[in-house]
Amino acid sequence: MNLHRVAAIAYKEWREVVRDRLFTIMAFGIPVITLLVLGYGVSLDVERIPFAVLDQDRSELSRDYLHRFIDSRYFDFKGEVSDERALEALLSDSRIRFAIVIPPRFGQRLREGRPVAVQSLVDGVFTYRAQVSKGYVAAINGDFNRRLLLDHLARKRGLSRQRGETMVEPVQLEVRYLYNQAIRSRWSMSSGLIMLVLMFSPPFLTALGVVREKENGSIYNIYASTVSRGEFILGKLLPYVAISAINVMVLWWLVILVFGAPFKGILLFYLPASLVFVVCTTGIGLLVSLLVRTQAAAALLTIVITFIPAMLFSGLLVPIESMNPEARFEAHLFPAIYYLQAVWGVFLKGLGWKGLWQPVAALVAYAAVIWFMGLMLFHKRPGR
Amino acid sequence: METDATTVIRLRGFEKRYRRQVAVRGVDLEVRSGEIYGLIGPDGAGKSSLMKAVAGVLAHDGGRVEVFGITVDSEAAAERIKGRIGFMPQGLGLNLYPELSVEENIDFFARLREVPAAELARRKAKLLAMTRLAPFRDRPMKHLSGGMKQKLGLVCTLIHEPELVILDEPTTGVDPVSRRDFWAILAEMLRERGITTLVSTAYLDEADRFHRLSLLYEGTVLATGEPDQLRAHAGGDDTDLEQVFVSLLRDQGVAEEVTASVPSTTTPGNEAAIEARELTRDFGHFRAVDRVSFRVRRGEIFGLLGANGAGKTTVIKMLTGILPPTSGSGQVAGADMGHAGHRIKRRIGYMSQAFSLYRDLSVMENLRLFAGIYGVPRRQRKARLRQLIDTTGLAGNERRLAGDLPMGIRQRLALACALVHRPRVLFLDEPTSGVDPLGRRRFWNILLRMAREEGVAILITTHYMSEAEQCDLLALMHAGRIIADASPTELKARLERDAGKLLELDCDRPLVALETLEAAGYRGVSLFGRKLHLLSRRPERAREKIEILLRSKGVRLLALRPRPPTLEDVFIYRILEQEAAS
Repeated sequence: MNLHRVAAIAYKEWREVVRDRLFTIMAFGIPVITLLVLGYGVSLDVERIPFAVLDQDRSELSRDYLHRFIDSRYFDFKGEVSDERALEALLSDSRIRFAIVIPPRFGQRLREGRPVAVQSLVDGVFTYRAQVSKGYVAAINGDFNRRLLLDHLARKRGLSRQRGETMVEPVQLEVRYLYNQAIRSRWSMSSGLIMLVLMFSPPFLTALGVVREKENGSIYNIYASTVSRGEFILGKLLPYVAISAINVMVLWWLVILVFGAPFKGILLFYLPASLVFVVCTTGIGLLVSLLVRTQAAAALLTIVITFIPAMLFSGLLVPIESMNPEARFEAHLFPAIYYLQAVWGVFLKGLGWKGLWQPVAALVAYAAVIWFMGLMLFHKRPGR
Repeated sequence: METDATTVIRLRGFEKRYRRQVAVRGVDLEVRSGEIYGLIGPDGAGKSSLMKAVAGVLAHDGGRVEVFGITVDSEAAAERIKGRIGFMPQGLGLNLYPELSVEENIDFFARLREVPAAELARRKAKLLAMTRLAPFRDRPMKHLSGGMKQKLGLVCTLIHEPELVILDEPTTGVDPVSRRDFWAILAEMLRERGITTLVSTAYLDEADRFHRLSLLYEGTVLATGEPDQLRAHAGGDDTDLEQVFVSLLRDQGVAEEVTASVPSTTTPGNEAAIEARELTRDFGHFRAVDRVSFRVRRGEIFGLLGANGAGKTTVIKMLTGILPPTSGSGQVAGADMGHAGHRIKRRIGYMSQAFSLYRDLSVMENLRLFAGIYGVPRRQRKARLRQLIDTTGLAGNERRLAGDLPMGIRQRLALACALVHRPRVLFLDEPTSGVDPLGRRRFWNILLRMAREEGVAILITTHYMSEAEQCDLLALMHAGRIIADASPTELKARLERDAGKLLELDCDRPLVALETLEAAGYRGVSLFGRKLHLLSRRPERAREKIEILLRSKGVRLLALRPRPPTLEDVFIYRILEQEAAS
């Protein structure tokens, strides 16, 4: 390995990237933009669900019941309608996501101690949101029932409110959310997005950078020279690793500053672990560049094999545990899953080397395999 | 042949395939030390594959490749020769780095090859001076002209002082002056360091630049030898090599009707079919076309010549109404191009550089499509297409897919598509680039017929001097301006009047003679293989003086005779004159 030649290639590459405005924007702008857009855009908190009501009773009790929905921060009251057809129209236009129908004589039946059915129509297209909506509705409904029961007990048996509560709910559930106390999905999402960005951006740049040389023929300068394959790969990829290392810092800072996520761990874990990941994904870019001939194909292939797995098979949106066995296996083939463990661990759980050495070790192994494959697949005397 | 120490490259039964398609087969070749060896042939002849294999950057499929006595049969073996080789791939400046400056590009190549700093400084200064690139050291490569890019590419290839340089189509699309500079640098390298060179080109008129050459066609060698030997083979001293190529193809059974001169059946009227008046076009601060004026009458073929980037395509785009001029005006087929965009388009045919047929449609389907686009009435369509197929010689190919056609036939199909609506004026932007000589002749036969028999006015751009010779009128464009404008014969006659006769000199030590004559102040001295060309105002007295001069350096003069100047000589002279004036 001749380090002078490595340096010559790395220096040239760095100059090119920095001087090409479009490439510079891609290198430093796209990661930041992706983080901001997705960080603000992808919120898994189901809040402000638009809904409407049809109150066929219009009694004091029905108003009381409905106000529990209207006043909730999870719901966004869009108004009252006068018949069911109007509800259906609103639902099919997606102007509301669910509706509550209070039947006639709702109050009267309740006072008479007879059961009554309240109908809730939920838009089931987006299943996750539908389930969460259903959960909210059930909780509010349960709360209302409990209050009716407490009132009843107070009236009939003269029990105090507190006594009544212990009687109605002898077992109390106390939930404490660890690591993300307010279960802000924004904290988890923004720190998780560091993984997403570092998964697709380094290979994207690398693949374009290498394929560009293949496309316009300057790769022949390398083929025709005495530079070894290893020297070329190292020199060519170093600048991209460096760019991504800068992005590792920038993204860390943005996640803390803009999204207010806590950083409970230590930089001495975050930085080396991120660097390993970046080396790993840069290697993916190298592999892509060896398989295709045009920059367009390189861009497309990189997005397909990095962005999509990082979104779907990393645990970012769908927990790995709830995947079927095939998907779980697939997920472990991509480095995203390991780095996501590391990044969430260091940000939200405050873990360090002791708790997270395993995913980092997996990344090191992954990087070694990828770079070795790249070295083996790159030839200075190809067949075509 | 016995292996001797001076053989640098030896190919035996060389074969290269891409998947199932054979690119080169059964090629034998031998290049000796200190030779400038040429590979000449049209696109697809296999030149690039062969050169890449010799440079050790492409694996071959059969036969034997030996370079410096080392058999190049594996990646490891190829590594052993690379330190002694310089390779410049095809494409003007494409292997350079556009964002880096001239100097940074050179430095990168030097560092890659581990040239020591002091040595680098010395070579860089010398090569930059030789290529006249020194004033542009800090200019980003992307802002260089085509000729400068080509010279920078050469400097980068030579910076580690290789013993063998392999240059793939270095002169394609470059202006004549840069081309001459390029040959001068090669001659200098040869003189100083005995460097061996393998060069490819698509231009047969460059053959005289080589010591020896091979004519390639569709992956095989048609002939090998010195330029004069090849001429002798085809019947004489004055035959041009294009004729040699064509007759060799004929020997191979690729038949071709003889070009009969087409008598003119229409008289060119005095009215202009195309007229450009002071056409100017700016792109930002860059003036691409600068006050260009010319007239083309009906039935005339007007050739627009110049390097890539000289402004030819911009002129055509303005005249066809695709691009509005910054100032000036033009008339095409009796309509003002500025106001009658649509009306013009119905009277003109346009075949662009990038003319792309629908490759997945057959010949007939392509023609029908264009007939539809140009609105040829349905009743006439069938007869018109039949007639077109006859005139362009496409008969028998109607059902073939355009993508499967050989280059020559594909270009004729493109021409047929441009002619489908019987245009009165035809614009052709480099229609024949990369086509073999036979294909180009057939193409020109059609053009001559269109002009002479149907009175179509034709404006054509080309890089081939042999094609330029066939034009009725020529205009040379350089840096956006027309710097010479007359018939080919007139242009040459003017050169002889202004600069003197062109002499060809044959001697036993041409490299020494080159240096001596240049030092003695002779103009236009240039190396052509083993011969020299120079300009002399008094050719009758030149022989004696030159003989004495050369004898003083121990060079024996073998022959000195006048030679008709080529159009390239004309252009070099005019460009230099223009540059000296500005």
